[in-house]
Amino acid sequence: MKRQHLIIIIILFWGCEEKFPVIEEFGGTQYNLVNQNNQNIVFPDYVKNKIVVINYIFTNCPDICPLSTNNMRLIQEGIKKENIKNVQFVSLSFDPKFDTPDVLKKFAGIRNLDLSNWDFLTGEKSVTDSIIKKSGVLAVPNDSTIFKNGRKIFYYIHTDRIQLIDTDGRIRKNYKGSTISVNEIIADVKYLQ
Amino acid sequence: MKRSWLIIVPIIFTLNIIIFAQQPKAQYSKLKIKNAWVRPAAKGANSAFYFVLQNNGSKPDTLIGAESKLAEIVEVHESYKRDNDRMGMRPAGKLVINPKSELEFKPGGFHVMLLDLQKDFKIGDSFEAGLQFKYAGKIKVIAEVRDTPVTKVIKQ
Repeated sequence: MKRQHLIIIIILFWGCEEKFPVIEEFGGTQYNLVNQNNQNIVFPDYVKNKIVVINYIFTNCPDICPLSTNNMRLIQEGIKKENIKNVQFVSLSFDPKFDTPDVLKKFAGIRNLDLSNWDFLTGEKSVTDSIIKKSGVLAVPNDSTIFKNGRKIFYYIHTDRIQLIDTDGRIRKNYKGSTISVNEIIADVKYLQ
Repeated sequence: MKRSWLIIVPIIFTLNIIIFAQQPKAQYSKLKIKNAWVRPAAKGANSAFYFVLQNNGSKPDTLIGAESKLAEIVEVHESYKRDNDRMGMRPAGKLVINPKSELEFKPGGFHVMLLDLQKDFKIGDSFEAGLQFKYAGKIKVIAEVRDTPVTKVIKQ
């Protein structure tokens, strides 16, 4: 009987791994970041034992990143509606020189986003670069605009991505951030719980 | 009698000139802009403006630019897909709208980029812009600030 249980557990575990093979592990590496409230955050340690839904953005992006962020909002609403606990939302900026905590706070605030389980993270460029490299996200400055007052902003060619990270800090699934199916990711979160 | 003809003939002649001059313009005045909306964004940040452009006339027209007092820079752009789910953005240039056709400005595709907003764009606010066409001239558009529903995302 015990042997049968063991086989079933192995099959279930194997099935889960098959559906969501580990894409990458953050492992023991910790990254020092700050959130929109200028609070120090150690990522991914601070989301340990939580399922994480993360997207990668820059706030000067007028089209794709706001769309991906809006999809994050819809996922968050769906998760809340389904009463799924233990899920953390993260938006990481790959343009930290521009995306200061204050800029991120305004970006979230103007959209009336619920930040009770959602952080907008930024930090040293070398740190955010390390995270996006680990995440398989590419962000390359392309075009730029110089305003009348001399201020210069960059636009990035970037991976359009929302990612699912399991409770052990392992990346388990990639989605196209701007076209993601909200129902699909909610089902995947349930599956990983 | 002759005197009255002297008055009527110039009037008819003038009316004809006015009617003929108006005709080509009328062909292009059948442009309709619908479902206009703009993304929320904070003062000093960037946003994008979307709409559906409908040409119900019998001649093509060309969108040559856009303007708004509510942003320092207003440009017609296009998001495009590169390799490995990467997205880029580029100026769209002049866009021709053929007769009896629609051109949709939508997330992930054509959009009017609004840079350095002069005020907060909060959900529910209204936004005013002008679209400049080669033949139809400037058309004023009022858009609502709102988030896009997920069902309206791009199809690729």
